[in-house]
Amino acid sequence: MTWDITGMGAVASIGGTPQEIFAALCAGRSGLAGLRAFDTEKYRARQAYEIDDRARPGTDEPGRATRWLRQAVAQALTDAGLPHDLADVPVLVGTTLQEQRSAELWWRQGSRLAPSDLHFGTALRAAFGATRTYTFANACAASLYALAMATDLIEVGAADTVVVAGTDAIGESAFGTLDRVQNDVPDALRPFDRSHKGMLMGEGAVAVVVRRAPAEPAPGRRVHARVRAVGINCDAHHPTAPDPDGITRVVRDAHRRAGVAPGDIDLVMLHGSGTPKNDTTEAGVLARVFAAGPGGGDGSGPLMTAVKSMTGHTLGGSGLLSLVVAALALRQGTVPPVLGLTDPVEEAAGLRLVQDTAATADLGLAQIDAFGFGGINAAAIVEAVR
Amino acid sequence: MSSASSTSAQPEVVVSGVGLAVPGVTFPDELLGAVREGGFDPHTGLTGREMRHKDRASRLALRAAEPALRDAGLHDGKAFTGDGDTTAVVVSSNFGILDSVCAFADVIARDTVKGLSPLGLPQTSSNVIAGSVAMRHGLRGPSITLCNGPTSGLDAVYWARGLIASGRAETAVVIGVEPSGDAVTKLLGEPVFDGAAALVLEARDRGARPRAVVGAGAYARGADPSAAVAAALGSRSPGAVGLWLPGEDACGAPGGGPAFDLTARLGRCSGALGVLQCAAAVAYFDRRANEDTAVLASAGGPADDAAAALLLTAP
Repeated sequence: MTWDITGMGAVASIGGTPQEIFAALCAGRSGLAGLRAFDTEKYRARQAYEIDDRARPGTDEPGRATRWLRQAVAQALTDAGLPHDLADVPVLVGTTLQEQRSAELWWRQGSRLAPSDLHFGTALRAAFGATRTYTFANACAASLYALAMATDLIEVGAADTVVVAGTDAIGESAFGTLDRVQNDVPDALRPFDRSHKGMLMGEGAVAVVVRRAPAEPAPGRRVHARVRAVGINCDAHHPTAPDPDGITRVVRDAHRRAGVAPGDIDLVMLHGSGTPKNDTTEAGVLARVFAAGPGGGDGSGPLMTAVKSMTGHTLGGSGLLSLVVAALALRQGTVPPVLGLTDPVEEAAGLRLVQDTAATADLGLAQIDAFGFGGINAAAIVEAVR
Repeated sequence: MSSASSTSAQPEVVVSGVGLAVPGVTFPDELLGAVREGGFDPHTGLTGREMRHKDRASRLALRAAEPALRDAGLHDGKAFTGDGDTTAVVVSSNFGILDSVCAFADVIARDTVKGLSPLGLPQTSSNVIAGSVAMRHGLRGPSITLCNGPTSGLDAVYWARGLIASGRAETAVVIGVEPSGDAVTKLLGEPVFDGAAALVLEARDRGARPRAVVGAGAYARGADPSAAVAAALGSRSPGAVGLWLPGEDACGAPGGGPAFDLTARLGRCSGALGVLQCAAAVAYFDRRANEDTAVLASAGGPADDAAAALLLTAP
């Protein structure tokens, strides 16, 4: 079975729609800026990829993750030509931090917070009449996990249309604890480059409309891309560090479900979080997976890129944002570069990472990686629709 | 309003194990009023080497998960004996890390990030609980954390069933947990239930003793509590429901049958409630061998974003 992506929406530091974001990525334009909302004296890292939308610059406000989620879902529905009424449409939201920032502002500064503000169903009911809503707090694999659950819902006949989304705003406790833990202080997120110093957070939301593929060809129905499969699993190995065995299993599971071989993949949207541990682990796994296929190891494997080099790590939504970028890349035959990549880490030496400027290529199949704390992994396979 | 219906042959999904970490309670029948001495004590029950550096929600979840696996015959007292690659973990918790998040923000304000413990990193993500359980027992299937409001526990059981029905997992450990803490108490205006409940769900064909059935179409989530209950009942008459386990605001009575309010004793259970309701349903069926009866669990009311209902039937 396959599933059609018929609508897409996204907001991030580098653009307010999927097209704006894609154009910025292809132009090598980053959303990196000085940390805007926190007291920078309290942190070692003082850069992030924030959405600059606070009413009073320098003063943080609650509810931003929810606001972007509403925007992304509205964009996706409009793009799909669907009414903004989700009374009978499941909405699956993947997030790392939920409305954690709103909780911090409530606790520290006394802003208003109700228990119902902590899950996104409350806002989705108010904005779209949605009641089959689910907030999955599945770390940085959350939105691809949600996509997997959506494909399952359609496959068992529990829905024909599902909205899948992801959203996150930067919170102090998460940003601060990561800052405390990273050995170096990154001034930018530079995935797979020897100069990588770690992860920096970004902000954003993303949504797609996923529909059952029609049994007969449906003229006039616009489809951005077709989901072939999503694999999901857990390392059960370490609370925060990635595990090559778990990542290998999820990539192979996604290929098996999609009925494809590594040699069929033309593009890989890397997780690429810029931590030395992620980059060496992910590159090492992919080098092995793609070396096994025809053409592997001789420089003719899939093109690879990592959008976090310009969006920062948008956490729960990052996997689905990579998928939206993949859909546009497949359609346009253009792959954005990995910004800041000049000297790849040893493990990535045999990988065709796009450097400096966008690459053009004829692309049919893309793989999207997303890995998160708790050892959870997801990998999706999407196909171009022409 | 819509209930999940099946179009293809799916395995029948049953509950095969129950475990509790509920203050003052040992066995599930105590949730329904049975009285025994002793029971779980969070002051002494959350210590030990394997609990070191873990957040309170993870500790409670670990204390509930192991007895559930033992109850299902998937743990021999030393280790998990099932197939880790095909076992999923599904957790429901609305406030699992709220106190950690607030405490870390306090530390940053007072001491800058240098005052934070690096060991706190996993606790900045709500899925720390599912990760802790997966790591302890080597459960490498899908790992899902729901933070979905009053219906979250029932939603978790629904998604666990879905993972088995879709073939992504053969077994699922479902945990509902809410740890107490200053921030949670402040947010709710009263203390939350400080405990956890765990279930093992699996396809009936493994041969474990089934304790309750979670059928296709037995769950619904929608705006109207009564409509959710009607959808979960499907073609069954309200009279087939032997026991109703209402949510915190007691919406969606299926009929005139007996009701038992778990929160009268346990207090605000929030994300743990749905899993506790299923644990109580198992205790209800355990006492009624060979009776064709059903237990209806409901959660959420008009003030919430939605209500949910789940019908469990006798094995």
